[in-house]
Amino acid sequence: MLSKNFVEYAILLLFKDRNDHLFSFLIFSFIVFILSAVLFISDSLQYDLTQSIKSQPEIVVENTRAGRAYQMHDGFIYDISQITGVSSVEGIVDGYHYFAQKRLWFHIIGDATLAKDEMIIGQGVQKAMAELYYEDEFNFFTEERMIRLKINKRAPKGTNIISNDAIFLHPNTARAVLGMEMDEYSKLYVSVPNPNEVGNVSLKIVEIYPSAKATTQEDAMSAVRHLYYYKGGIFMILYVIALVSFFILLKNQISLVYGEKKKEIAILRSLGFCIKDIIALKFIQNTVVSLSAYLLGVAVAYLYVFVFNAPYLRNIFLGNTLENSITFTPVVDLNLLFLIFLFGVIPFLAFVILPAWKIAISDMSEAVKS
Amino acid sequence: MSKIAIQNLNKLYNPNKPNAFYALKNINLSIEESEIVILKGVSGSGKSTLLSLLGGLSKPSSGEILVDAHNIAKLPDIMSSAFRHQKIGFIFQSFNLLEGLSVYQNILAPLALTKLGKEAMHEKVSLAMELANIEHKKDQKVGSLSGGERQRCAIARAVVMEPEIILADEPTANLDKENSLMFIKILKKFKALHKTVVIATHDTLFDELSCINRCVQMRDGELVL
Repeated sequence: MLSKNFVEYAILLLFKDRNDHLFSFLIFSFIVFILSAVLFISDSLQYDLTQSIKSQPEIVVENTRAGRAYQMHDGFIYDISQITGVSSVEGIVDGYHYFAQKRLWFHIIGDATLAKDEMIIGQGVQKAMAELYYEDEFNFFTEERMIRLKINKRAPKGTNIISNDAIFLHPNTARAVLGMEMDEYSKLYVSVPNPNEVGNVSLKIVEIYPSAKATTQEDAMSAVRHLYYYKGGIFMILYVIALVSFFILLKNQISLVYGEKKKEIAILRSLGFCIKDIIALKFIQNTVVSLSAYLLGVAVAYLYVFVFNAPYLRNIFLGNTLENSITFTPVVDLNLLFLIFLFGVIPFLAFVILPAWKIAISDMSEAVKS
Repeated sequence: MSKIAIQNLNKLYNPNKPNAFYALKNINLSIEESEIVILKGVSGSGKSTLLSLLGGLSKPSSGEILVDAHNIAKLPDIMSSAFRHQKIGFIFQSFNLLEGLSVYQNILAPLALTKLGKEAMHEKVSLAMELANIEHKKDQKVGSLSGGERQRCAIARAVVMEPEIILADEPTANLDKENSLMFIKILKKFKALHKTVVIATHDTLFDELSCINRCVQMRDGELVL
């Protein structure tokens, strides 16, 4: 059991060499910050997308032609509603409108609760429109005509990732903007109350309409998970590179002060510190450095992502064609944070303690004479 | 019973290698309690090696070192460190202070291994500083001290645990005459406190001192009788 005096003296020696430790502390904090920020962003996006998928019905049907999404008519709704196990089929109008003046794509979503001449816009859309002085009204230019609509209200900042580039319109207005016929739909939401029937129903839909794509909630969830694991993977590689760089820097730093450290360990040994005490001393010192650097890195990453909305980094995830003014939902995966701790703090401690142990077990007589 | 009894002590460096050599050869020596013994000899005669073996800083190749009848030559690290902590005070030629710390913090170092309270530690450090006449510099960083002051700080640290044995390796080699005489004064205090002191030196200053009990000559790793 380490005494209070021992711990206090270890901290005293730590502060004596604070400049050496500060270098490691800052690099370590930065690496933890980068990794934590990436994990916070990807977890938050995964959470929002997963919540969005959960709010959708069990199956989403899209038609394809020449490999691209293609609209469906009322006949699809009738045929699918006849499949055993299906409780309801709802046609959805959804598509993208090209805003040529800003070279941006807006996501048009049909919403039957809105009047035909009004719309709700996301924060990102609002900013893009405001730059061209569209404050209260907006003109949609289609092949046939110009459609002028009132900007009814803005989707609250921080609703989620979905609403940032979205414009919600009455379905018929949305059809007009997207150039669709009045009985056409972009997607069908198919409700299947029995979860065991979802797979069968989706197969039957594809049997009736071979060109249709029936995506179950489970398929959509795994696609989201795959998407963000993929992005997370890239950052994991970056992290490993950063960590290797960190070890090289740390090794250099240790090499620079190796002689002085050896002398210090020899002095302590001559005063009665045993090998176990030297290891405990280095363990305490480097635990203080790595743990405080880890906590600082995580705390700064939390503030950066969830308070300041991850400037610069969010565009890597969300794309930067439309300014992303979303607020990340605070989601903290403790398992992943523990993983960062495990792969950061433990190697850090080992990297410093092993050389200290190696010095401590060597013959001290020459070191104290020098 | 002798305080320290060295029997058939050998120290071989680089064993089984072409450059193997004996730093100490068949040393037999007894030192009584409260004795002050000088180890004399030229550089490379084995004085410092003998001191480091006496203090348990390194292990002999063969032979025994009995301190209070306990053989310290074969103790495991944890026990030889505890022995060093409790019974030995080292004074080195190069002082071996922890740079960046104050005089007080340097003297405190051996007490970090104890469970003493703040006041008891302060009392011990104060006594040690008083003995070494360095209390007026207690808050000063050791880097800013003169050679003599550094030596006195090292002495205070060596005695803070009130060890029975003090081992000094060339304690006056880096000191001017005035500070060397100051060391002699402290040496007399050790005598008064009944410490057993072994000093490795080739300084002639120690030759005629009344407080010295014995002078042992060393040459090429052997005692010269």
